[in-house]
Amino acid sequence: MKHQQYETWILLDTELDQDQHRDLQVHLKQCSQCQSLHLATHQIAHLFKNSPIPEPNPGFSTRWMTRMEKVENRKNRLILGTTISVISIATLLLLSSVGIQIRAGIAYFPQLMLEMITLVAKWIIFLNQLRDIVSPLFRVGMKLISPVWLYTLGFSLSGITGAWMLSLIKSRTIQRELHS
Amino acid sequence: MCNTEQQWIAEAKTGNKNAFAKLVEKYQKPVYSVCYRMLGTPTAAEDAAQEAFIRAYQAIDRYDTSRSFATWVLSIASNYSIDQLKKKKVTILSIDNEKHSWLAPPDPGLSPEKAALEKEKLGQIQSLLTDLNEVDRAAVVLQYWHDYSYEEIADTLDLSSSAVKSRLFRARRLMAEKWQEMQLPSVPAVHSTAKRITHETSTI
Repeated sequence: MKHQQYETWILLDTELDQDQHRDLQVHLKQCSQCQSLHLATHQIAHLFKNSPIPEPNPGFSTRWMTRMEKVENRKNRLILGTTISVISIATLLLLSSVGIQIRAGIAYFPQLMLEMITLVAKWIIFLNQLRDIVSPLFRVGMKLISPVWLYTLGFSLSGITGAWMLSLIKSRTIQRELHS
Repeated sequence: MCNTEQQWIAEAKTGNKNAFAKLVEKYQKPVYSVCYRMLGTPTAAEDAAQEAFIRAYQAIDRYDTSRSFATWVLSIASNYSIDQLKKKKVTILSIDNEKHSWLAPPDPGLSPEKAALEKEKLGQIQSLLTDLNEVDRAAVVLQYWHDYSYEEIADTLDLSSSAVKSRLFRARRLMAEKWQEMQLPSVPAVHSTAKRITHETSTI
């Protein structure tokens, strides 16, 4: 048998059967290298097993409780601090935003109100017309579902989105004109 | 796992710190022992053991009750110690006992001669462990001092069984080489210990 096999048996502390054990003993008598390796591993195991077991100083769990409380307090303080900071920043942003809006719009309030009502009315009319167009299309589409219809629907939706975006831009322009 | 322990775990899961403190009381010795063998100083061991229990408490919701609590908490302690060694490169002791008077934990029951012997043994152990890398050291500690099987070590250190075998093989070879070096006559103190251990093993 190869020398390496014996080394593996020694170093892995393998459980050997009777034949293997006998083989190892024979080899150990012939090989000084394996003999010293075998002796060293046994001496180390003996040293380890017979060493004093280190123990913590008394009151370990009490110290743990104290430390745990400190960790929790620190964590709670951090959470509280973060929450307060976020809320403060959000409030400041909101207040400044609202303040600016109120200051800007207060002089032109009646005009803005009128514009808003007009815009809402236009949207209602637009949506009604859209419904009149889309409803029959949808009914037909349900019967004749083909890619062409799907493309048509896609284009229509894109057109509507475009129109909506344009109306928004227009309303902003009106607002800016009113302010100026 | 006994019923009382299961009850403590269940209570700890609901946020009861006192119940977890009972688990700390029960497992403080093995956890401290792993940390001490890994890090080499009582201060670092105390700190690591405390931190391991804090992490265990914070992660108690994720603890799978079908697994042994000891294995779980030792796994946390081992991995924390490995991280500490990697981070801080904690200096493990040389075999010069005079420089490291902390080596032997004070035991008033021991005679000065015995205390000196114990101190010397601890120095020898730390010296053998010094040359091993962090994970190999953890595997050695778990096997020799906690009688863990290859599978349990694999489970604790998140390795495969074959990786554990190969790490222990390498670690034992390194330690044997170091041990043989330590027995050279140029180191009289170590030589005397080695001789004594040789004598002790031959009488077993």
